[in-house]
Amino acid sequence: MLSLDFNFVLEMINLVILYLLLRKFLIGPVMNIMEKRRAMIADGIQNANDQQAKAMELKSQYEDALSGAKDESRRMIEQARADAKKEYDRILKDADAEAGKIMQTARETIDLEREQTLRQMKTEVAGLAVDAARKIVMDSCGEKDSQAVYDQFLREAGDSHEDSKGK
Amino acid sequence: MEELNCTPVFEIPVFGGIAVNESIVVTWIIMAVLTVLSVIFVRNLRVENPGKVQLVLESAIGWAQDFFEGIIGKENRRYVPYLITVALYLAVSNLIGLTGFKPPTKDLNVTAALAIMSMLLIEYSGIHRNGLKHWAGHFAKPVPFVAPIMVMEIFIRPLSLCMRLFGNMLGGFVVMELVKAVVPLLVPIPLSFYFDIFDGLLQAYVFVFLTALFMNEEME
Repeated sequence: MLSLDFNFVLEMINLVILYLLLRKFLIGPVMNIMEKRRAMIADGIQNANDQQAKAMELKSQYEDALSGAKDESRRMIEQARADAKKEYDRILKDADAEAGKIMQTARETIDLEREQTLRQMKTEVAGLAVDAARKIVMDSCGEKDSQAVYDQFLREAGDSHEDSKGK
Repeated sequence: MEELNCTPVFEIPVFGGIAVNESIVVTWIIMAVLTVLSVIFVRNLRVENPGKVQLVLESAIGWAQDFFEGIIGKENRRYVPYLITVALYLAVSNLIGLTGFKPPTKDLNVTAALAIMSMLLIEYSGIHRNGLKHWAGHFAKPVPFVAPIMVMEIFIRPLSLCMRLFGNMLGGFVVMELVKAVVPLLVPIPLSFYFDIFDGLLQAYVFVFLTALFMNEEME
């Protein structure tokens, strides 16, 4: 019953073999898989944190870009308004100048025409007067009378002409 | 009285014949069964979506791992597989009486072998951790006067482990046999629950627990 013999050594060998077998087939794989799962979970959490940080960074970037775009658009509108004002002023000035020039030309033309008309009229009136005078002379008076009448008529006509021009 | 003896089953015809005890043969059977079951159950382990079998295995091994790491510390986890192996072997051998085999732990050779292995592991862990010098020096602490007792402790620890296990198993076996001889009907059932199942698991627990505790002590 209380005998110690060589079986003692056999049992030790058995134990070592059983240890190796179980480590290879049971404990090793199971611990390995648990370790893997632990690593995977840690990895997943790490990943999630990374993603979140990246998302936050992108968000701030977009916000920056958005406010930049707002500023840009405001600046562009300002610029366009300034441009439009300048163009408007320029067109107005041009139109003024053009109108002035046209008016000037028109005035000159009118003056010229009037002068021409006057000269023509003078000539015609002179002719008319001569005709009238001749008629009178032929009708009644002598040479001297006719000359005097003619001169008078001419003076009067000229005066009235001078007066109308002066007005 | 015949049941108490561990009868040789056969002889290995070397060195003038080595008588192989029944306990060794039963141990072989246990080893084979454990290995085959391991191979069967450990197939198809998956990191994601583990099956029911894998969950049971993982929770059992995880529990044992936490238990031993709690005693000897996370940095000494390399000893955990051996402790789990011994715990599993002892649990199965102590319970195998239920199936009609003689428990191997009823043989002094088996418990002695277990205890010697524990002793080697305890001392090895101490040497590995703190170095040979520290290990040799720790016998003279706290005062050199206690050195003989400290040296004796090396052998007392495994002896107590060995004898506790052996005595408990043999005692339980003897009591059960006597009860069965006197009242073969019904009465042995509750007693069998205590002596075969509870005591067997308790002794397996105590053996590995004390081994881990001694290792921790030695590694300090």
